[in-house]
Amino acid sequence: MIEISHLTHTYPGNRKSPPRTAIDDLSLSIPAGEFCILSGPNGSGKSTLFRILCGMALPSSGTIRIGGHDLFAEPAAARARMSVVFQSPAIDRHLSVAENLRLQATLYGLSGADYKARLGEAVEWTDLRDRLADKVDTLSGGLARQVELAKCLLTRPEIILLDEPTTGLDPNSRRNFIEALQRIQRQRKMTVLMTSHIFSEAEDADRVAIMKGGRLLACDSPQALRARLGHEMVVLQSRRAESLLPRIEADLGIAVRRYGDELRLEETVNGDSLPILERLLGLYRGDIDSIAIKQPALEDVFVHMTGKTAQDIEREQLEIEAP
Amino acid sequence: MIRVALALAQREFIRFLRQPQRVVGTVAQPVLFWLFLGTGFSSSFRAPGMEQVSYLEYFYPGVMLMMMLFASIFSSITIIEDRDAGFLQSVLVAPVSRMAIVLGKVLGGTAIALVQTVIFTIAAPFLGLSLGAGALAMLLGAYVLTSMGFAAMGFFFAWPMRSSSGFHAIMMVFLMPLWMLSGALFPIERVPGWLHLLMNINPVAHALVLLRTPLYMSVSEAFQNQRYLLALAVTAVWTIACLLGSMARVETRDKGGAPASA
Repeated sequence: MIEISHLTHTYPGNRKSPPRTAIDDLSLSIPAGEFCILSGPNGSGKSTLFRILCGMALPSSGTIRIGGHDLFAEPAAARARMSVVFQSPAIDRHLSVAENLRLQATLYGLSGADYKARLGEAVEWTDLRDRLADKVDTLSGGLARQVELAKCLLTRPEIILLDEPTTGLDPNSRRNFIEALQRIQRQRKMTVLMTSHIFSEAEDADRVAIMKGGRLLACDSPQALRARLGHEMVVLQSRRAESLLPRIEADLGIAVRRYGDELRLEETVNGDSLPILERLLGLYRGDIDSIAIKQPALEDVFVHMTGKTAQDIEREQLEIEAP
Repeated sequence: MIRVALALAQREFIRFLRQPQRVVGTVAQPVLFWLFLGTGFSSSFRAPGMEQVSYLEYFYPGVMLMMMLFASIFSSITIIEDRDAGFLQSVLVAPVSRMAIVLGKVLGGTAIALVQTVIFTIAAPFLGLSLGAGALAMLLGAYVLTSMGFAAMGFFFAWPMRSSSGFHAIMMVFLMPLWMLSGALFPIERVPGWLHLLMNINPVAHALVLLRTPLYMSVSEAFQNQRYLLALAVTAVWTIACLLGSMARVETRDKGGAPASA
């Protein structure tokens, strides 16, 4: 359904900065009906890929086919098959919910009885039935997001692209949004490609694609990705993590990875974790602030592959958003 | 395409009506300009060849032009606001022609300008100007053509802008001087040579001719008047050029450069 083939995008340089390759020979195929999460640290090329997929930027090279249509040669046909939910709200806050939906319908050539039927369907999936006459200005962040979702559903798209749609929502609204999206996706067998930093959202996806430096590092089911780290790992926190790392590697002969004050022994053999933990406590009790055996989560896979923790990404995001 | 353009124009108009401060600002400012400047200069100003005309009357079509300019400026600023608010991107990813996007904004700005100028036309009888059906039709045509020209020009400048402060700079150094040098404030006849040249090549000066002529000429006289016909042609060409320029701007998408390794 979405076929990305050998996509490369280079931002042209200028006198102050050299050209920068944001996407580097990326190929990714998302079959019809799949829910795929695209994740990666800031600067990994996700946003550039999203802009290209939306048809808002043209790549340096490569092709994208959407439902069989070449996105660059037949943009209108490709766009007609997909809907997009952007990170920033793309609704007019001066208009009512119904006015926003009607405008969206007009943009996609819907009118009359067809529009009414689709409006009924779109509203059924969301909590907007009693809020159609309300100005968007008066809605909560979660409901405003649902207007975006309703706008998408109105066009009965085969494909939905979402760019971090739950950013800024409280956990409850976030959960409601994702649950509604997953319910609709399953029932309508839509293809969904969603960028996200929130790993709980990725757990229910069919596949998770991880990008770094413009390249695709992995694209697999959450289970398969977790299996790459084995079934257990030992994680310890220490204020002396930097000096502790070479000592552990020398004493235990196990590769250790450091993320700030955190040390991870990821390549432990199943069942070895407890003896390793006991040995670590025996050798370095005074240097260890906390220690645990944990089963790898998607977040751990992400950290392992990109070298960035969720906190790193959040911090970077705040730095980008700060005026 | 027309349906999409009209829907986008309707949105512009609804937004305008739902922002009372914008309605007051765009109507009140030109009217205050007209009343204060018109009354203030009335005793000391006589335009060459129009000695019987008070400044209040002379300035009247200039204020109409100003209303259209202001309507286009405010309408153009909404392009920047729509981009900031994220609304624009949802329109850009829809399967609609770029021409519909430009026409939607331009027709929206034109509709707003039309409401203001049509209301302002009511002041004509108080100046002793009697306007017949022909004159009103000519004025309406001039309002539509000129408003579209201003709105398209505003669109052309606003599209690449990332902040409304940048657009304000364009407004102050380009759009306002176009209006000031149109003959709206003072006649073209007795100005120094360099200013005369600037005013002659200013397309907005021709738009003013379209607005002033129906106040003093019948339809048949106007359409036999070479200056009026030239003004009509120049204004039409200017409007079309601005529309085409705006469409070209919207068509432009960020294009990746050559791969860094190449």
